[in-house]
Amino acid sequence: MNEKIIIIENLVKRYPMGETEFTALKNINLTFDKGEFAGFVGPSGSGKTTILNILGSLDTPTEGKVVVEGEDVSNLSEKASALLRKEHIGFIFQSFNLLPVYTVFENVELSLLLLKKSAAEREKAVTAALEWVGLQDMARKKPPQLSGGESQRVAIARAIVKRPNIVLADEPTANLDAENAHIIMQTMQKLNEELKTTFIFATHDEKVMQYLKRKIHLQDGRVSKDETMETKTLQL
Amino acid sequence: MILVWKLAYKNLIRAGLKTWLNALALSFAFVLIIFYNGMIDGWNMEARQDAVEWDYGYGHLRNAGYDPADPFSIQDGHGILPEPFRKDLTPVLVWQGTIYPQGRMMPVLIKGIEVNQETVKIPSEILKTSTAGYPVLLGRKMAESAGLKKGDPVLLRWRDKNGTFDAVEATVVGIFETNVPFVDGGQLWMSLKTLQEMTGLHDEASFYIANEAYVPEPIDGWTFIDQETLLKPVTDLINAKKYGAAIMYLLLLAIGLLVIFDTQAFAIFRRQKEIGTHIAMGMTKGEVIRMFTAEGAMYSIFAIVLGGLYGTPLFIYLAKNGISFPVSGDTMGIIIAPTIYSVYSAALIVKTFLLLVISATLVSLLATRKIATMNPVEALKGKAL
Ligand SMILES: Nc1ncnc2c1ncn2[C@@H]1O[C@H](COP(=O)(O)OP(=O)(O)OP(=O)(O)O)[C@@H](O)[C@H]1O
Ligand SMILES: [Mg+2]
Repeated sequence: MNEKIIIIENLVKRYPMGETEFTALKNINLTFDKGEFAGFVGPSGSGKTTILNILGSLDTPTEGKVVVEGEDVSNLSEKASALLRKEHIGFIFQSFNLLPVYTVFENVELSLLLLKKSAAEREKAVTAALEWVGLQDMARKKPPQLSGGESQRVAIARAIVKRPNIVLADEPTANLDAENAHIIMQTMQKLNEELKTTFIFATHDEKVMQYLKRKIHLQDGRVSKDETMETKTLQL
Repeated sequence: MILVWKLAYKNLIRAGLKTWLNALALSFAFVLIIFYNGMIDGWNMEARQDAVEWDYGYGHLRNAGYDPADPFSIQDGHGILPEPFRKDLTPVLVWQGTIYPQGRMMPVLIKGIEVNQETVKIPSEILKTSTAGYPVLLGRKMAESAGLKKGDPVLLRWRDKNGTFDAVEATVVGIFETNVPFVDGGQLWMSLKTLQEMTGLHDEASFYIANEAYVPEPIDGWTFIDQETLLKPVTDLINAKKYGAAIMYLLLLAIGLLVIFDTQAFAIFRRQKEIGTHIAMGMTKGEVIRMFTAEGAMYSIFAIVLGGLYGTPLFIYLAKNGISFPVSGDTMGIIIAPTIYSVYSAALIVKTFLLLVISATLVSLLATRKIATMNPVEALKGKAL
């Protein structure tokens, strides 16, 4: 369990703010092992989303080095970073971001289409992914017909259907009630255990934190505490 | 590449009615372009055919001195074509004269044509079988403007080659119906032999009409003008109408394209999150742009399908039954049949298809190229624009 899937060295992120600059991340040093179930926690504005976006190569570091899956994301070409996301990274968003005109099946299928998988492979993998999240009966429905909890489960299925090594989840429970938040977290916990997928969260939701095996506390753009929890399985 | 088309297709089909309304706007341009150009092409084809059948044949062999555009060339523009060169040619002698229908005076162009000819549709056989002293033929419009009917006598006066006046009473033995104004208005047709005798120009002609078998060869004092050269002014005139009216359907096309531009420009604004999601899932911006551009381009294909659906019955009707025009070609100085049958060539359809697809693609690309400068993080937040 000590294969380093992510290495962050001296990461600084600054945003231009008119005349001056705003420093959102200040000298972050962290590593993640394969199969971790970790999360960035901290108050609003502490930099959780910023760091997650950099790990997902959607944003670039201002200074420092961030190596994801052996790729230094600080100087990847647009094509290479798209490829990295396509093959190795699944995203889960606070607002689900499902495509409203596609069915549940098609939403999940899209990442496999981008990977040019055959129809048979897609069918099999999508069916399996929907089973993992318990939505096998909703394949034909469209997102507007789903509840928030169901929508987020579709998003999880979409993120994991391609069996990525890393799933980045930004406030995945923020739009869900307590019951659904737990269902979502348990689903991801199960996937983490069975598929050895690395999950990294950004959250300030206590319900999410209960499940994390590692909590990285961010405060004002710095890591203030990095704690590893004892393994426990929560039941609702 | 195929994937972005598939996704674009799905996006459009799923958007339902909105897609079809946009496509409908563009389909009007498509249908009008095909309708209008089909009509002009049909007109052009009929006009060319009429001109060939009534006057041009497979070309004219003109006496070097004769210029049909210059009335002063008639006096000297004639000659004897050596016998060995006369194969596959129908002689016509042109002369000036005056008729006096009901006491009015009307200058006419007298055309003497070989009565045994079968190269042009001038019904010269009537001249051969007629027992009247000086049988002549008139086009219907000429007959109307002179107030003459079949069987009417009319005084015809002319000068012979030496300038001496002479006159006879001619008889209108036939009135023919033609769309070609330049064998009708102001003209009087008679037997070549008779005109040669009247003028003293034995064996002479102003020009010869070639038939299909004619092989041109250089002859001193004579110039061969081939069919295509003769037809050029006819085609040019009709094509001028074509370009003149292009403004009408280009305007309609512009409106259709504007609708697409608007839809696509609004789409990338409204669908920022979707764009961000696609990028997060591993699409490059280039691929996202191609997907949106493909959507816009596909509107044109939908427009063609839609236009084809309601346009085809119309096109078939117009090709079969034609459109009637109340204006006479005579007043416009151009060949125009009373009924024009539209002609829809493969070239017209392919050209229109390409015009629509290419312009819709460009417009859509114009609307969506903004994606290239989008920050994916901002797009996901819906704040990239
Ligand atoms: N594009 C930007 N330009 C300027 N400042 C930015 C930009 N994006 C983020 N910031 C700032 O960086 C800081 C960290 O933002 P970030 O979104 O990472 O916070 P967060 O921890 O995810 O907060 P929340 O819990 O509210 O989601 C904030 O102060 C934010 O205002
Ligand atoms: Mg955040």
